[in-house]
Amino acid sequence: MIHFRFIAGVSALLLVNVAQAQSMFRGDPGHSGKSGAQATRQFHRVKWKFPTGDRIVSSPVWENKILYFGGDDGNIYAVDSETGRQIWKRTTGGPAPCTPALANGIVYATSYDGKFYALDAKTGAVKWKFATEGERRFEAKGIHGLQPKNQTIADQFDVFLSSPVVANGAVYFGSGDGNLYALDAGTGELKWKFKTGDVIHASPAYADGVLFVGSWDSYFYAVDAATGKEKWRFHGGEDPLIHNQVGFQSSAAVVDGVVYVGCRDSNLYALDAATGKEKWKFFNELSWVIVSPAVVDGKVVFATSDSSLFHIVDAATGKSLLKQQDKAYMFSSPVVAGDVVLIGVLNGTLQARDLKTAEPLWDFQTEASKQNKGWILTADRKFNEPFFYHSNWREAPTVATDRQLNIGAIFSTPLVMNGVVYFGSTDGNLYAIE
Amino acid sequence: MRLIATILFASTALSQAAESAAGRWEGVAQIPGHELKLIVDLSDEGGKDWTGSIIIPGFGVKGAQLVDLHVRGGDLDFAIKGALGNERSGRAELKAHLTPDGHLAGDFKQGGNSAPFVLSKTGPAQIDLPPRSTGVAKEVEGEWKGDYEMMGYARHATLKFANRGNEGAALEFTIVGKKVNNVPVSLVAQDGDFVTVKSDEFGITFEGRFSKEAGEIKGTLSQGPMEAPLVLRKTP
Repeated sequence: MIHFRFIAGVSALLLVNVAQAQSMFRGDPGHSGKSGAQATRQFHRVKWKFPTGDRIVSSPVWENKILYFGGDDGNIYAVDSETGRQIWKRTTGGPAPCTPALANGIVYATSYDGKFYALDAKTGAVKWKFATEGERRFEAKGIHGLQPKNQTIADQFDVFLSSPVVANGAVYFGSGDGNLYALDAGTGELKWKFKTGDVIHASPAYADGVLFVGSWDSYFYAVDAATGKEKWRFHGGEDPLIHNQVGFQSSAAVVDGVVYVGCRDSNLYALDAATGKEKWKFFNELSWVIVSPAVVDGKVVFATSDSSLFHIVDAATGKSLLKQQDKAYMFSSPVVAGDVVLIGVLNGTLQARDLKTAEPLWDFQTEASKQNKGWILTADRKFNEPFFYHSNWREAPTVATDRQLNIGAIFSTPLVMNGVVYFGSTDGNLYAIE
Repeated sequence: MRLIATILFASTALSQAAESAAGRWEGVAQIPGHELKLIVDLSDEGGKDWTGSIIIPGFGVKGAQLVDLHVRGGDLDFAIKGALGNERSGRAELKAHLTPDGHLAGDFKQGGNSAPFVLSKTGPAQIDLPPRSTGVAKEVEGEWKGDYEMMGYARHATLKFANRGNEGAALEFTIVGKKVNNVPVSLVAQDGDFVTVKSDEFGITFEGRFSKEAGEIKGTLSQGPMEAPLVLRKTP
């Protein structure tokens, strides 16, 4: 018995050693969502929490024991992962709800000021900035059925900015101006830009010289990373009436020649990476798929928003393998860390599930969620719509979303390093739990 | 003698409690981080049945009906119909008692949460009566069918009207999409040629114009923010 324990301990150490860095959204350019580390199967304690001035929907990245993330308070932060102490912060001109990327000592990040930042990873000094054509949220007349129907209203659920990906000396990111940009990673010089019909806030995935990204114009694109030329495009659903069931907010995962991506048209799609041809789709009964799927060992792990379902489907066929009813919407992307799946839930909990059974192992609830001010949640932690959503007139939906987020919602995708789980919350804290 | 005295005492206490509970009551429920203002109107309709309605400022609730309203001596409880509740959270319920100093104090329960409240009487009751179903024309009675499309999906609606004397018309309403939905109906009304059907629970409204000549009820079905044209034709 002791012998087996020893072996298990050594295996865990090996897994930890493999996890040297987590330098961009979802950990790798293909956005597989597979962590090199093993997450704990039991929650023990909060190691530390790092307070910021506003919500955090960004996901942290890690290199050399330093965490980097963006805050809605406009700062890009570098924090010591051991102690939770700030190393530096750099203020941008707007909220920075993106996941930074790290490469060659540079931190790359987007901001709502419409600028793209390259910062020195050690000091936070600006190495260069690039001005896009301007940021904006997705917007439409009468969006989600809000009134007045003939007035353009910004989408309160367009919460993330595009997270950059770095490959072959270039840094790639999407923008609210509808462009997919390619910049020289060293100098910030524009290599090319690719125009789509609407906002791109998904993070481009990169595989075999091709970038894969969806736009709110209802198309998903494959673009040659060297030239910026379109290779193919795939048409998702449209919703001209209330613009609810349209657009790719999910960032794709590209694994073994297949692109897996969620869509607001309620489908999770599997597309052939070479041709864009649909291999299968999984319909979610009018519930958005905002999360980026994790693809591990022939399984696709994803979750939905309104229906709050946690799914594991067969990567080859799209057939359901496991399904679990969760309590609230999920925008945070699932991370597979060993035999544990971690995901943030908008009711202010971080959840750990068993990869084999999808059963919950443990969860962590933020203080704001426990306090449940204004009864935003029911006693069993489901969203209590009558208490935050009173009307679809004027700014009421925006106010409702604010109320909803004040309970410490977790949009942030968790990061696992050396047995510690790091994530942000809309209560303004970056958490380290173990 | 002792029995008579007990009965007399009990009946007086009940009568006093009933008189005391009737009226307009205003106050707050202390939910965490928020004082929820409540304005409750209660009436015993001159000693008949208890009825009531509630106003919750800021929550879009004006005159929601109180249901399952029970008054026993100084204790009362009721639920709110069609407001501050849904399928997920269940309905909002209040349980209260008259305090010796003339307040109405108790617990406000909703979604498994509970908060204390205290209300003070501010005047006579001003109850908002909910709209009541009316009867429908003889030609409208019977089964009607029609198809519509919403969010890109085809749906089939069946509506079966039947008059129920003084209670107005009753309606069996079924929508078949990917599954069969039996729609709970809150209101059926006919005013001239206009026929209105409402389901508070499903957030569905159908408003249509009945045409005897065309043999149809032509109108619009709305569900939340979405609207779709719907033409109903009578089943032969």
